[in-house]
Amino acid sequence: MGWRFQRNKKYPIGGLRGPRRSAGRKIGEHAAGSGWFRIVPATDPDPFYLVRSGRADAVLVAPPGGLTWALSRGKGQAQLLVDATNAIKGRVIESYMNAILRRTIADENHNSETVPPSLSFDVRVLYNPTLQTSAYLVPGVMGLILCLVTILLASMSMARERELGTFETLLAAPVERWEIFLGKTLPFMILGMADVPLLVGLGVAGFHVPLRGPLWALFLAAGVFVGTTVCVGTLISTFAKNQQQAMMGGFSFSFRPSNYPGVMAPIENIPGPSPPFLGQPLRFFVSLTRQVMLKGTIGPFYWTNLGALAFLGMLGRQRQCPSVPANWRDPKEFAIKKISLAIIHIICYI
Amino acid sequence: MTSLSIEVTDVYKKLGPNQALAGVTLCLEEGGLYGVIGPDGAGKTTLLRTIMGLFHPDEGRVAFRIENKAASFDQARPLIAYMPQQQSLYPDLSIKEHLEFFRDLYQISDDVYTARRQRLLRLTRLEKFEDRPAGQLSGGMYKKLGLMCALLQTPSALLLDEPTNGVDPISRREFWDLLYELRGEGILILMATAYMDEAERCGEVHLMEAGRIWTYGPPRTILEKEKARDFAELFVRRAEGSQGK
Repeated sequence: MGWRFQRNKKYPIGGLRGPRRSAGRKIGEHAAGSGWFRIVPATDPDPFYLVRSGRADAVLVAPPGGLTWALSRGKGQAQLLVDATNAIKGRVIESYMNAILRRTIADENHNSETVPPSLSFDVRVLYNPTLQTSAYLVPGVMGLILCLVTILLASMSMARERELGTFETLLAAPVERWEIFLGKTLPFMILGMADVPLLVGLGVAGFHVPLRGPLWALFLAAGVFVGTTVCVGTLISTFAKNQQQAMMGGFSFSFRPSNYPGVMAPIENIPGPSPPFLGQPLRFFVSLTRQVMLKGTIGPFYWTNLGALAFLGMLGRQRQCPSVPANWRDPKEFAIKKISLAIIHIICYI
Repeated sequence: MTSLSIEVTDVYKKLGPNQALAGVTLCLEEGGLYGVIGPDGAGKTTLLRTIMGLFHPDEGRVAFRIENKAASFDQARPLIAYMPQQQSLYPDLSIKEHLEFFRDLYQISDDVYTARRQRLLRLTRLEKFEDRPAGQLSGGMYKKLGLMCALLQTPSALLLDEPTNGVDPISRREFWDLLYELRGEGILILMATAYMDEAERCGEVHLMEAGRIWTYGPPRTILEKEKARDFAELFVRRAEGSQGK
């Protein structure tokens, strides 16, 4: 039997393997009773897989024969696997689980917590053994820089064309709308993608962030992310009357999510319901970067986040190239854009 | 040159609460120099944008004929050059860079481009200023550069939206000389302007007010019919008449 814990009744923080109606069960009840964890049945017998796939942030592995048997014999060794891609979260899980385990063992021994435990407890910190905060923060900063560069450039560039009046000339030229859109977005996608090796190189060489996963996965995630942010940038530009408005729109879109959990702080801190497939583009990209760089795995988590990013990009792509060139907007097209941006904003701030 | 004629039939277009075009009909034949004259907000720009396909008419239609055969807008579009009213050039690009940019935009071959570029620079007398950024050109030079960019593709029709707005009298005269030269080559020219004196230079004028064309014909004929000395007087009299009502 296996157990999984999630904090705030939302996200996995710990895991436990052991027989039902045993000491393991009591640990689970203590953990759930603390209000910090949620217990979910484990779907895979491999404890490492549970952490690697992101299903659990920690797994407690019982000694051979189970916890109850080890406690009755008075010796044994339990192991706690902690996902420390976020060093702060890793430390919190470790200290909470330590306290819960000590209390459970004391209860099992019908003794006080001051008596030395009969079970040794081994904590194994995965992916970030030295618990460096830079391993968590650097991918967040990387995503933020990419987001800012692409959204601001794309939104301001299109707004500049409108402001100068050159957009009307482009629309009147014998070129298709998609050609204009591609011409206005492709340079920023190339610029954004050119930043990726620089940022990754700096993170690895300057901040010693490990790069465990394949580079193609990182570049694929970056490509989809840059495409999404460029689309969002051009969508913002359709609402902006001038470059200043486009810049403010780009900043508000980039900075508000950056302060949100999931980018620079753990996502578990989000109050209220947070559907797992929703969130701002930055959150998805940063999760992908951490998954690839720190865990080095590509699984359902990777593809789900990539799909969510692509979906947001498709929403952002919604008719950014207007047929109306000047200061007047076609009500139907404007309404479609408004709805698209509203959906993106709702998704981003849920 | 490929001949192109344009027929606008009973076109209506509403922009927000304003009825910008309220049943406009006009027929533009190849080689003609047409003027759409009217005060600000009469609907001149909306008319040009509708012909250019930037606005879709709410009612009515814009039809094109290439070599006397009915053609779609997509077929006619490469033959129409449009010079918008708003400043439409990149201030940090030089004249030379602008021409190269529009060469790429219109996909003009190198040899055709070289010959056309020389001719346009000679016509506009801008050879000496090739390396000057557009942002540093005078008003007249700026308008001429805009016209050069529009003419680079050798169009059959030229739509000009207030091209001489804010240009000094000498540059305006040069600009008109250029337009006459182009008309001589068989290019259909449709020009929207708020300058009443320019109306008399056109072959046929369409006087526009509140989204409607209230009269049209050769300038002299209209003035004789309305018993007015010039178009400015005609519009002032009309405005005063509508206020009196």
